[in-house]
Formats: sequence, structure tokens, C-alpha cells
Amino acid sequence: MVNQPFTRREFISTTAAAGAGLLLASCSPDSSQKAAGPKNPALNKINIALVGCGAQGQVLLDSLLVIEGIRLAAIVDIWDYNRTSNVRRLKSQGVEVNGYENFEDLLAHEKDLQAVIVATPDFWHAPITNACLKAGLDVYCEKMMSNTIEGARSMVQTMRETGRLLQIGHQRRSNPRYMFALNRLVRDAKLCGRLTAANGQWNRAVSEDLGWPKKFTMSPEELAKYGYKDMHQFRNWRWFKGLGGGPLSDLGAHQIDIFNWWFGVMPSSVMASGGVDYYKNHEWYDNAMVIYEYPLPTGMARAFYEVLTTTSAGGGYFEMFMGDEGTIKMSENPLITKLYREERAPAWDDLVAKNYLRASAVAAPTGDADKVDVRETAPLLQYEIPVTFNKKIHQPHLENFFNAIRGKARLNCPADEAFSSEYVIHKANEAIAVRKTIAITPEEIEA
Amino acid sequence: MSEPVIHVSKHQAMATQFQVRIADEEKSYAAQAAQAAFALTDKLESHLSRFRANSDISQVAQLVPGEKLRLSEPVFACLEIAKKMETATRGAFSVTAAALKTQAALPQWSLFSKEFSIRCDGGKLDFDLGAIGKGFALDRMAEVLQEWDCPAFLLVAGGSSILAGDAPAGTTGWSCGLGDDHSPHRYWLKNCSLSGSGLVVKGQHIFDPRTGTVAQRKNRAWALADSAAESDALSTACMVLDEVEIAGVVGESHDWLVFLEELGTCRCLGCRASPPRA
Repeated sequence: MVNQPFTRREFISTTAAAGAGLLLASCSPDSSQKAAGPKNPALNKINIALVGCGAQGQVLLDSLLVIEGIRLAAIVDIWDYNRTSNVRRLKSQGVEVNGYENFEDLLAHEKDLQAVIVATPDFWHAPITNACLKAGLDVYCEKMMSNTIEGARSMVQTMRETGRLLQIGHQRRSNPRYMFALNRLVRDAKLCGRLTAANGQWNRAVSEDLGWPKKFTMSPEELAKYGYKDMHQFRNWRWFKGLGGGPLSDLGAHQIDIFNWWFGVMPSSVMASGGVDYYKNHEWYDNAMVIYEYPLPTGMARAFYEVLTTTSAGGGYFEMFMGDEGTIKMSENPLITKLYREERAPAWDDLVAKNYLRASAVAAPTGDADKVDVRETAPLLQYEIPVTFNKKIHQPHLENFFNAIRGKARLNCPADEAFSSEYVIHKANEAIAVRKTIAITPEEIEA
Repeated sequence: MSEPVIHVSKHQAMATQFQVRIADEEKSYAAQAAQAAFALTDKLESHLSRFRANSDISQVAQLVPGEKLRLSEPVFACLEIAKKMETATRGAFSVTAAALKTQAALPQWSLFSKEFSIRCDGGKLDFDLGAIGKGFALDRMAEVLQEWDCPAFLLVAGGSSILAGDAPAGTTGWSCGLGDDHSPHRYWLKNCSLSGSGLVVKGQHIFDPRTGTVAQRKNRAWALADSAAESDALSTACMVLDEVEIAGVVGESHDWLVFLEELGTCRCLGCRASPPRA
């Protein structure tokens, strides 16, 4: 009998992969999610609004439009260009939405909302999230939670006071490939052996600062009303202190959160280096290198994180967990995901038999100890995670949020849990500024 | 009269290089407009690529007969054009042609505009948008540049498709050659698209969707149309159509013109007026 390596939670959002086909065929996939239009009467329709229709809002919108049982009632954006073009585009797709300039107008006029998706610049996350929670709405808020630790802490407090749901957008926490690798390979199978290190990176090539079509330039009064010095700052808010947290919080937040999630403990210290050495009109560091120390029950592990915005070299974006028996290199991109086995590790044949791993078709001949055959060079056996995930990257995390609203799931990334990652990411930026190792105590990480 | 200043930006996407050339605009504004267009290209690739596990096209390939899937708007729009071109070329263009390598017949599919969905009607929907996706991307990039009020542009995808906007000020158009850099067959293009197909660079890679056999044409073909998605699809179809069939296809549209390479010359087929020679 084939063992079943997937929990239902992990299985949702996956599709059959060769080698695991029989197994997966026996688990009915969440085919209702494939169907066009809301056809599952068991799903209560949830009225939602999207606050923030910039680049990240667009990504979430792509997922929202294919999730069953959702009614997008309104979108909000302070920039007329984003707001009107999205209302028009959605209408052309048969999605009638109201457009509002700000969240106050949204809350004043939309009285049948149940949830709000927040994808604004970071410094607006806390005020908008807190207001929506207090208005009785459940909230999905993009990471970072806030540009300040205090802002993030206030969101957790409001969540607790109101009893509403607050999911933070670390979408990898709902990615079935990540869930499977952590639960089955790292924890059950102990594929890495004793974890001693982690390594993560996200490097991007040099790029122009974001511009804007001249005819859609906002007035100085409009910009000032929403906290921006000028249009350049509005479009490039991630680079400015007081608005965002730079590349460490933009890109690193996702991956440092994976360090914390997979190690299962919080770091006890952080040291880091970085600087504004390349882009002359930015306030946040263009490159940063960070080392965290994780006091695991099995001994200390160190995690190195690198985010560079001056080169795309380095092999894409990934988080790699290294132990004395094996390594898992995870990425949202399956082509980058790799598994490495140390020679000293037990054979992985059992894991293949249990469908925890998929082996490449061609195996290197092992031979007997007392004789050797000479033939063509054989390739090394390659292993893969037997989970194919083909929904949009953010879709399962949003689905988890909506299922939690329906009382059918627990949030995969509630704000109080996300706060820990939030805290240590802010501390990495602080370590760069003070050029010192900063100790982190368990007490201070508590929200 | 001085030469127009043209700002060139390059970007890799869809396994090829895209170029944006903008005239009559300030340098940094042109670069930012080009960046906005490239950002859209990346987004389109994430929807259209069959090599991305999370793309719409990969999800479509998982559908079983009778099953539907809601598509993102650009994928739906691209497939609508593909359907139209399949009909217009009498089946000589198909985004599922390569499926004949593994399936006995072309897979069948229907689009539903009200719900932006696709239904698998038979077979496995192995779409390859290689012959239309890049052109579609150019069309959408052009919309971005129009929004940015940069109407004098030339967009290039991998050297095989171009989309010309307005002519740079003081010129007749963008000088574009059929084939190699020093091609004697050059035209002034504006507000139209030109795509080429051939076997020189990628070898024999075009299948006749009507028969499952490889393309019969050995020489290159170019198609001129208003949109790059159409010119891309049409030039691909021309590789499997014979001359009589091509004349029949382009004869039904005043928007299309085809150039066929022939012993060092290029012959025109179609009702559309040829652009001026450069």
C-alpha cells in the first residue's frame, strides 16, 4: 500500500505529478476551484474590497478573480490612474466594482463588506488595517505589516481586541510545495539531518526608478494629503524611510520569514551590513547582507541572507536549508528547487517508496562491493519534491484567508505569528545602521 | 535636417530579447516608459508561458474534457485572437499545432466571453503561444506607451516581430528590412506590425496543424498587419500554406500583406498597400 504523504491541507492546490499520480488520483483534487464562476453552493459568497491597486494589488487581483465564492465589490486607490483604469478593466471582464479614493470613503459607503485586502505602501498598512478591523471586517494585509515595529504591534493588538481575522501576506506559508517540504521532508523524514545553516537570497538587476505617465501626475496637495513629498517618492516609496523598509523588507521579508517558520524558533541575534552606495536618490540600502543565529534544540544554526539590487547574478531567489545529511533548496520557482544528499546520509530509497520524494528515471549503477563494471558514465540520481503546484502563487494564501472567514480553516499566517518575522527584519535594518550585532530576546519578539 | 534622437531599452523575456525604441522624448522619461512596458511583458509571460507551472496556460493543460477554467484577461484576449487567426488562415495557424506530436488530433476548446473562461472540449490542451504570444505582448506594450504619450515608438521581439508606432518627427517611418541587417528590401513602417518566419535560426520547428507534418516552405515569409499578434500568426501560417492558399487567405482581408522570399527577391501577396520603400 502506498503511504499517503500529503495532508489534506498540503494537497489542496496541488495537481498530480508523474510518479505520484495514483496517490493523488485517490485524493479528489480541489476541482471546484478550477470551475469558472461560483458554482459551489456550499460556499458563502464573501464581499470584499481591495485597498491599493498598484503592482502588488494587481498580482492579488489576478488571484482574486479566479477564486470561487468571492465578490469584489470595491477597489480603492489614491491615484486616479490606478483607480479608474482598474474599474474600467474589471468592468470589461464583467466585474462591477465601485472605486474609492481612500479607505475612509470605502468604509463610509460600502456597508456589506466582510473583508478587505490591503496592498498599499507599508506605512499605510497599520492605519488602514486597524480601521477596517475596528469596522468589523476581516483583513488580509500584505507584508511588511508596517514600516515600524510599533505599527505592526498595534495591528496585533487591534486583531486581539476586535476578535477579527488578520492574515499577513507571507504567501509561501500556504504554498503546498513549501508545506510539504517542511512537514514531510524536514520534520517527518529529517532529510537534512541536523540543521546547521540556511542561506537565502533575492538579487535583482539595476533598474530605473519607477516613473509615471506625465498626464497622470498627482497634485502636490493630493500627494501631501497622503504622506508623500512628491510623485517620485510616491512611485518609489519602497526606497524611502518613513514609507517602506527597503529591499530587506520588500524582498527579504518573505524569505527571512521562511527561516523562522522552518527553523521553528526565533533568532537570538542579528548582524548585518549594507549601504546606500549605488543609487544616489534612495534612502534605503541598495544591498544588504545579514546573518542570524538560531538556537535550535540540536545546536546553533546560522542563516545568511543576501538581497542585492545591483545585480541579477546568483541563480534566482531561494531559501536553502542545510544539514549534515542533506540540503533542501526551496524556491517559489520549481526549476530552482533542488535536493542534495550527503554521502553520509541514509539512502533515500524509502522516501521515494513513500512518495516523499520523486527520483529521476535513470539511476547510477551501484554495483557490488567486490566487482566493478566499466561502461558509459552514469548520471547521478536526482530527486524532486513530488508536488506540482500550478495555481497562481498568491491564490492558496488568499483561499486560506477566505476559508478561515467561513470557519473552515485556521489562518496560515495570523498577525501575531507574522509579528515575530516582522520584528527580526526590522532588527536587521537596525543592525546595518548601528554596525553592531544586536541580541534578540524571546520576550521582545512577543507582540 | 538632424537625425531624430532614438532611445533604446532592452529586456529579456519570453526566452528572447525585447527592445523598445522611443523617439521625440526626453531620455529618462523614455527609459521609464520602456520600463513600464517591460514590466507588463514580464507579467504577460507569467500568464502565457507553458514553462511556468503557475501560468494560465499550464493550468489549461490540466483540464479534462468538459472542464472549464476562468482565465486572466490577457490570456483570454490572446486566445480570442488565436481562434480568429485559426479560422482566418483556414486552420494553417493553430496554438495547439505542436500537440500533434503527442496526440492523434488537434485538441478542441471553446471560449466563453461572458465569464472569461475556456472549456476543454476534447484532447489535452497543450497550448504553445510562441508564434503569437510575443506579438500579443508587443500590442499590449504599445498600449502602455500610448498611455505614457510616447506615440513614436518601435517595438521589437526577438528580431522576428516588430510593431511600429508613429514615425519619428521629420521622418517617413521606421526603416525595417526583410531579413538580414543589410537586406535590400527595406520599408518605412508606421502604425503597423511586421513579423517574419523561417527555418534558418531555429531549424524545422513549425508544424502544419492540418496534417501534423513539418512546414513545407523552405524560404522565409513575412506578414504585415495592424497588430503584432496577427502578423505573428499570419507569418507562421504562411510557412505551411502554399501560394494559392496564401493568396486566398490574404485576399479576404485588406489589413494583411505577405512577402515571400524567392531567389533573392521578395514577392508581395495581398490587397494591403505596400509601405514605401526605404
